[in-house]
Parts: sequence; C-alpha cells; structure tokens
Amino acid sequence: MRLDKLLVLVFLGIFSPAGTPQDQDKLISGPGSTLTENKCKICHELQHIRRTPLSRGEWADNLKNMKERGTPMDDAEIAIILDYLAAYYGRDPAPPPSPDTLAAGGADPMQKLLNAHACTGCHTLAQRVVGPSFREIAAKYSSDATAPQRLAARIRAGGQGVWGQVPMPPNPGLSDADLKRLTGWVLEQK
Amino acid sequence: MEDRRPDQSRRSFLTRAAGAGALAAIGDALAQDKPAAAPAAPAGTIGNDAIKREKHAAMQYHSERPLTGSVPAHEHDFDVTPNDRMFVRNNLLNPDIDAAQHRLTVKGLVDKELSFSLDELKKAFPAVTLRGMLECAGAGRTNYLPAASGTPWSQTGGMGCPAWTGVRLAGLLKAAGLKSGAAHVAGQGGDPGMIATAAPVIRSVPLAKAMEENTLIAWDMNGAPLPKVHGYPLRLVVPGWVGSASTKWVTTLHVLDAPFKGAYMTSSYVMPKWPVEPGQKMPPDAVSTEAWPVKSMITFPAPNSRVKGSGRITVRGRAWVGEGSIDRVEISVDEGVTWQRARLASRGDRYAWRTFTFDYQPQRFGYMTFVARAWDDRGNAQPMVSAWNPLGYFWNGVHRVGVLVEA
Repeated sequence: MRLDKLLVLVFLGIFSPAGTPQDQDKLISGPGSTLTENKCKICHELQHIRRTPLSRGEWADNLKNMKERGTPMDDAEIAIILDYLAAYYGRDPAPPPSPDTLAAGGADPMQKLLNAHACTGCHTLAQRVVGPSFREIAAKYSSDATAPQRLAARIRAGGQGVWGQVPMPPNPGLSDADLKRLTGWVLEQK
Repeated sequence: MEDRRPDQSRRSFLTRAAGAGALAAIGDALAQDKPAAAPAAPAGTIGNDAIKREKHAAMQYHSERPLTGSVPAHEHDFDVTPNDRMFVRNNLLNPDIDAAQHRLTVKGLVDKELSFSLDELKKAFPAVTLRGMLECAGAGRTNYLPAASGTPWSQTGGMGCPAWTGVRLAGLLKAAGLKSGAAHVAGQGGDPGMIATAAPVIRSVPLAKAMEENTLIAWDMNGAPLPKVHGYPLRLVVPGWVGSASTKWVTTLHVLDAPFKGAYMTSSYVMPKWPVEPGQKMPPDAVSTEAWPVKSMITFPAPNSRVKGSGRITVRGRAWVGEGSIDRVEISVDEGVTWQRARLASRGDRYAWRTFTFDYQPQRFGYMTFVARAWDDRGNAQPMVSAWNPLGYFWNGVHRVGVLVEA
C-alpha cells in the first residue's frame, strides 16, 4: 500500500495506528448485536465480551454493574442486550452459531484447513478439550512481536509441556503458506 | 467455527481494494455506518501511546480501553518493582493532572474539613518511604476454569512491589479529627469516564486499615514522582490489599459510618461469602475483597529455559501475603509429591514481597518442573487450585515453571 493511501485510511479511523482496526471490533451478528455493540463500545473494547462466555445470570450481574458504572441504557435495552449476550456469548448451553456464520459455513477455507490437518481433534475455539482452545493460545501469545514465528515453530514441530503433558504431534505435511495462514488465524482468535 | 468474526470477507475486500484504489475501501467503510473511532486522548487525559512510551518492552497489554497490562513472572525478577514494569489497570480514562492545581480534601465524619495542595501536604506531615505490594484483585484470573469475567491477567500478571514515598493516611485523619461513628474511609479518584454519566471510582476500607501505619497518601514511586498512569500527583497506597483500594489520582477522602455504596464496592471487587459451584452467578451474600491470600511466583528461570545438567541451578522467586507474614516457601521438583524448603530472605517492610532462592542439582536430563508454594504465619498455604468465584478474584494457586535440562 502506498503511504499516502495508508494515511487517508488512518485519518478516517479505518485503521488505528495503535494496531487494531476499529471496524474489526465486532460481536457475532444476531438479534441485539448492534445495540450491544453501541452501548458497550462507549467505554471498552468488545473483546471484553468475546473472550469469556458467561451464564445468563452472570451476564445479568455484569449488566447491572455496567448500569451502576454509568452506561446510559434503560430496562428495555438491558433486556434486549441480556437476551443477546445469553444466546451468543452463553456459557451453557453452547452458543448457537449466528445466521451469518452458518452462511459462511462449509466452504470456509480456514475450517477446511483445520479439519484437513486434524487440528480440530484436539482444539476448539473456546473450550479446552485435549489441547488449549485457540482463544487461550491467542491470549498467551498476545502483544508479542515474535508470536507468529514462535507459534508457527510450535505448530510445525509439535511439543509438550507448555499447556500440559499430552504431546502435540509435529505437522511436517503443512505447507509454509498454510502454516502462515493458520498461525495468523489462531493469533486473531483473542 | 461457531464464532468466526463476521468481518472476514470485508477485511479481505479492504486488502484487495487498498491496492486497486483506496477510495473504494473508504466508501465501503463509511457505508457501514460505524460510530466514529474514539479520539486518542480526550481533553484533560493522556493517551495509551504516552503511557506505553514510559513502559518496558516486556509489558503485555490485554486491552486498550481501558488500558490493562503487566510483565510476565520472569520479567519480574526484582526485589523492588521498577516503575516501567509496574502493572497498569485503569478503570476509566487516564487523567493528565496539573500538580500545582491538584488538591486533596478530607471530609465526612470529621471535626473539620481539610484541604491540601501537594506542597502543603508535604509540609504538614513527616514523609515515609516503604516497599509495599499492590496487586489487582483479578491477578491470575486466567487460571480459573470455567473462565471468569474480567481482565485476563496471567497467573503472574497484575502485581508489583515498588517503594512508595508519602505521608501516613492516619496523620491526615487525626488532623481532621474523627467524629464518633467514623468507621470507613473512601478514596475518590480524579479519573474521568468517556461519558458524563460514568460513576467516579470510589472504594472504601475499614477505619483500622486506613489508620494502619503502612497506609499512605503517596507522591513518589521508587524515588521519582508517580508516573501519570500510576496516579500522579497523589494516590492512596493500601499495601497488601486488592489494588483497587489504592485509589489513583485521589482527590477526596470521605470518612463514612459504613462501607461506601457504589458500583466499585457492591458489583465489582466482591466475592461470594462462601465458595460457589464453578459457573454460578454471584450470590446475594457477596463480600468486598480486602487482603490478598498468601502467594508466590518463580521469577527465575524463565518458563521453558534450557539449563545445563552439569551444574546447579538457583531458582529464585518472590512470596507475599496481604496481612501477616511469610513463614516459609517450599519447592517441589516432582509435581507436588515431595517438598523442600527454599531459602527466604530476611523480612523487610511489612507489606513487601520477600525473595526466596532454591539451589538444585538436576538429577536427570529432559523436561522438569519447579513448583513453588508459600506458607504464611497463620498456617495458610497456596492451594493447587483456588476456589472459583464469579469475578475470578484472588487466584493464589501454586506457581509452576518448566525447564529443559540439557547435556
């Protein structure tokens, strides 16, 4: 990208110089997601919601806390936001996929890549199964400039002891390009 | 995946469009009808860039709004935490205060309301310097399963032990004169929110803790004026207790007959009176968090270091407890089956962390772990796993560091 074009994008707030493009800070699309985004983004990033699925009761407590802290929202809005958070960022049962996510579904190249290399046998997005969740991995490697190289090396060579004593097998059959895509995707799952 | 970000297609479009013609991308972004990006630093505040410039490269930031971050255990290998490695946890925006204009007011259940400038405060009371622990109530939160809501501090993130210089809070309270019924003291911070309706950050502590000789109104941190992110020009320091008790940018001390009632007292920084089943919501009988339980961390070697099997390795770490004192620290090299005593440095300031060391001759090659467990003088030890609570406070489980022993 030419520098002058980059500067225009920075000026318009499309890319923030701090690193995270503002427009990437979103929630799963669903009934109430826009209202939830607009209220919560006044004071904090939406990753505070994305990273921790909670029960309906915990979300209700959370909303009460935020109301007390000064969030301008009335009871009707709180009810909509609570329904949305309980459905899409619930602890139990597992959140249903959003209609948008389903539409992207089977043809998703990243999902195919994960399946092809059996990553999903041990890892899921949010829950620790055999290995850590992709979110845990992304969080562990967050804010670290060497993370892509270190994580790529770990995926390539396999390992043991970082998360537990069940070894992760090496992945010699993964192409360099796919390894890079996979590493980048995992690091985005914060 | 059930939770793929919904903007993937848009992002790839942006990438393509940036090469072909940036204006197309801009139009696309504007068509999304987004709220405008927040200004970097509203008037009267400083931005995250300015804060980060004064911080060490080892700082790992968890969020930008509000700013939270800390260094991992192996970057914490100091008896006194340097300013640039002290953790950051703001609730609201970071104020940019003119010290010459700043005043601290003591009010409420006092005989006479007092107000001090920074200079007046320094002249009115004797200065004291002491090392003291400050630790976020949520430090270690990411160890809880299922995950608890809040800043995702790592096991060893969110604490530090700098040297503080200031005056004893007790001196101010005595000078103002406590009325009968005075039982709690609340500090109010001068940090503004994004919107006018934002509740001010106010936390109270019982009078006995406020009058304790190590509870300070501080202006220096490690011999230099408080960095802006750590409360410049004045902050409360309530060492050993949850960090939120140590109000930054303190403007007002309210002397009260009961704990302050507000979001930061009743909805945040509370725990169930009795442990709840993991995953349950906060029960009605929640209590405010106060002193940290006994805790330790291994600060050397770093996780997954390579060490020579031919020589001895000296494991080093820090141990602390919110009230009381550290009795001993033990190390296990067999995942908790057997424990051996580490050497404990002599006790310094009452609320400072204490350094421990443990010499070890590796018995075999390969991967091995050191597990540290501290005991306090009341017979409490660090558990393997701390009791789950809805907001993920007070994680004090044993700290475990693995190394690879090589020829």
